Amino acid sequence: MSHAGEQISAYLDGELARAEIDQLQAHLATCGKCAGELQEMQVVRSAVRSLPLLELPPGLIPEADAEVVPLRRNKGFLVGAAAAVVALVIAIAAIVTPSTPSVALEELNSRYGARASLDPAFGPAKVVVPDLGDILE
Amino acid sequence: MESVPLTWEEVARVYGRKIYNFAYRLTGNSDDAADLVQEVLLRVRKGLASYQPGSFEGWLWRITRNAFLDEVRRRNRRPTAPLPDEVDRWELASSPSADAEYSRISIGDDVQKALLELPYEFREAVVLCDIVGLSYEEIARAVAVPVGTVRSRIHRGRKLLRESLI
Repeated sequence: MSHAGEQISAYLDGELARAEIDQLQAHLATCGKCAGELQEMQVVRSAVRSLPLLELPPGLIPEADAEVVPLRRNKGFLVGAAAAVVALVIAIAAIVTPSTPSVALEELNSRYGARASLDPAFGPAKVVVPDLGDILE
Repeated sequence: MESVPLTWEEVARVYGRKIYNFAYRLTGNSDDAADLVQEVLLRVRKGLASYQPGSFEGWLWRITRNAFLDEVRRRNRRPTAPLPDEVDRWELASSPSADAEYSRISIGDDVQKALLELPYEFREAVVLCDIVGLSYEEIARAVAVPVGTVRSRIHRGRKLLRESLI
């Protein structure tokens, strides 16, 4: 396939069909340009999603003051949640094995907690938590 | 099956904050955002009587978008000061942790500034996707364009943001 282009954003937002995901992932495995663009788009997406969700000014809608309703995030939010987990793992890995990545990208990552996740289906549920008994042994 | 708010009060309670954040991220101004919330809820109040069950999100965001664009056109017709592009601090003044809150918001200043520099169609698509949390299909209904156009606008918007932020 030619370069992925706007499929990258649709992928991050969970808007691709399974067949398109498979095709894109196969392409990403062989195309450094698109893999890099995916990572940068994930940083940008996470930066926007990291903007604080502002409360309504008090008294603007009296009907709304009694109840705080969280903003809904679409299914792409799971990608963000997965990215947060990945970012944490990467942060720990970076402490153990320092590297010299892109400064601008790293700065944004540290500021917004953003990091690309190559698989939108990846979620916190896939994080393996060791059994307490294993740790104590 | 989509749950449809039946009363204006429920719409205000469930969607008021979403509408406020949509408007704030499009304008960067809290007063303008507050004005838009009130205008949208007024239109919802009038429109609910004739609302036909279907995509409530699409209906609501179409109203919100049209109200926003009407307000932009109205302002463009009269000679006033342009919209300020800095974070307005008034909403923080009454908070006991105002400094902490301002610090939290100022982290996003560069992102907000980059958003405001986007062409309107791209900014709108990115905000509806990443701030409001609508699907591409819902955005397409709200903006009345094909889903492919939504996909293109979101990606092009993010590419422009990348040039500003990275």
